[in-house]
Amino acid sequence: MSKTASDGWTFRVDNLVKHFGTVAANDGITLRVEPGEVYGLLGPNGAGKSTLVKQTIGLLKPASGRITLGSFDLVADPDAARQLCSYLPQAQMPIDSFRLREAIELSGRIRGAEMGQVRRRTAELIEALQLGEWSKTLGSRLSGGVKRLVGFCMATISPGHLVILDEPTNDVDPLRRRLLWDEIRALGAQGCSVLLVTHNVLEAEKAVDRLALIANGRLVAEGTPSSLKAADRTQMRLQVMLVPGVETPALPAWSGPPVRVGNNLVTTIAEADAPSGISWAAGLIDAGVAEEYALGAASLEDAYIRLTSDIPTDGLHGEQ
Amino acid sequence: MASSDAALILPPGGVERGIGRSGRDFVSMVRWHLASLRMWLVTIVIVQALSGVGFVLGISLFFHHIPQSAALFVTTGVPVINLLIVGLVLGPQLVANQRTAGSYEYLQTLPVSRSVTAAAWYTVCLLCGLPAVVVSLVVGQLRYDLPLHISLMIVPAVLLTSFAGTMLGYALAHAITRPMVTLLITQMLIFIVFGFAPILFPLQRMPAWLADVNWWFPFRHMAVVMRAALTSGPNPGVSTAYAVIGVWTVVAAALAGWMLGRRP
Ligand SMILES: Nc1ncnc2c1ncn2[C@@H]1O[C@H](COP(=O)(O)OP(=O)(O)O)[C@@H](O)[C@H]1O
Ligand SMILES: [Mg+2]
Repeated sequence: MSKTASDGWTFRVDNLVKHFGTVAANDGITLRVEPGEVYGLLGPNGAGKSTLVKQTIGLLKPASGRITLGSFDLVADPDAARQLCSYLPQAQMPIDSFRLREAIELSGRIRGAEMGQVRRRTAELIEALQLGEWSKTLGSRLSGGVKRLVGFCMATISPGHLVILDEPTNDVDPLRRRLLWDEIRALGAQGCSVLLVTHNVLEAEKAVDRLALIANGRLVAEGTPSSLKAADRTQMRLQVMLVPGVETPALPAWSGPPVRVGNNLVTTIAEADAPSGISWAAGLIDAGVAEEYALGAASLEDAYIRLTSDIPTDGLHGEQ
Repeated sequence: MASSDAALILPPGGVERGIGRSGRDFVSMVRWHLASLRMWLVTIVIVQALSGVGFVLGISLFFHHIPQSAALFVTTGVPVINLLIVGLVLGPQLVANQRTAGSYEYLQTLPVSRSVTAAAWYTVCLLCGLPAVVVSLVVGQLRYDLPLHISLMIVPAVLLTSFAGTMLGYALAHAITRPMVTLLITQMLIFIVFGFAPILFPLQRMPAWLADVNWWFPFRHMAVVMRAALTSGPNPGVSTAYAVIGVWTVVAAALAGWMLGRRP
């Protein structure tokens, strides 16, 4: 890919606002994606990620703010948005009565590519994602994960300068998930900007160049995965497996905001507090409240939890 | 990397305006719709044909002896009913179904112009309705030995009737976001087209005020142009009927284009 072909196709979102009734689904989001960059939009359900990408592709109209790709204003010119961007919706693609190969090839044709190219590229994608055994199968007989991959192929057979993927890995098995990430990276290598929506932090950490954390319609942090972790570098993650059914124990004042999922209680503590953390956790085990604990380096997931967590922490902390 | 560079398809250099790609896009979109209706197409065509035949033969159940003029009247009205049901009732229901299935959003994001999208939809609806028109006429002819006289004007009569109906239905389908509401409204349209528009029965049977109201709607005029194209003899009001349908064609196309381009 020559430098010039993808030059100038920077994707910009400026102060984007979108309301649904009283819900501010996007509440002043600003971000920028350079050509060749795989950019993750990370955030909990309902954060406003899909709303952002739907405004980009012309399905929704912003209340205010700008969305541009290169010199094109995508809000004012949805025709340009449709030609210059390709989109995999979060919802499953409607291919029940299509054969797998046919769905991909027809999408390529509708996206304007030549038949010969479409055939070759379809064959390549089918091979790369190991879909060959189903290439003539009707969509209604495909599993959810395979359908998801077909949707990815349909969206990227003839990619736009901006490729929007709304939760592409949902339902996909671990092996093909890896193959899918390779193809997403390949789109970046080709010069496309990739806007990738996900709520899977671990995957995003490995596959994106930069990412934005979105919560409640706002961009709460942006950067490379390692820069987002940097704030947590002097932090450690303390995980306690509680005895099923017990109430969440009061946390020491020097711990970060706690998150309890099932019987799993996670919090962050400063490195210096590690010994106190260990004795606190060991005390919980002695008291019969916890079964085991683990202390480790903070991950992107901790940054994610710290930045997007809405859980009021006061109630869970002990003496302040 | 998993892909070799040789087969990669590069992003477009810019934005294409105008009608350059329309022909190809049109063919691709028609293929898309036909493929997505693949399992239903035959059933749809058969059901339409059966309902047309049902109307044509149905009147003979009501009367012991049917005057030929009445049989002719009904048989020449049924093609309008066939085309309207497909465009105005089945069409919106298919779009509602796309919304439920998730294809609606995807189709809205494809790089195809609105006019091409609408033209492809029109073609698909026409293909679903035409066999029924032919079958109804053939059955009517065989059953009642009618003095049908089919002129070339059948072409504009069928195309315009179907177009106005399909585009009105299409506008409706895009305007209404809830599939259930679409179902209810199309139910109501069936009711209006059969009971309150003089298609299968003469205008004189209606109260004068309802006949006047009908003048402003296209249905009555569709029946006039269809009959003129299927029978010989004097056909008063054909030019007026074409004029009114013409206006509705433009209105329907504009409405469809507007609704198709709307962003909530
Ligand atoms: N069409 C809609 N009508 C009303 N509310 C909506 C609509 N779409 C999204 N929302 C609301 O906007 C917020 C953001 O939704 P969404 O963008 O889908 O979140 P995400 O994709 O991050 O999970 C949610 O509170 C959701 O309920
Ligand atoms: Mg979403």
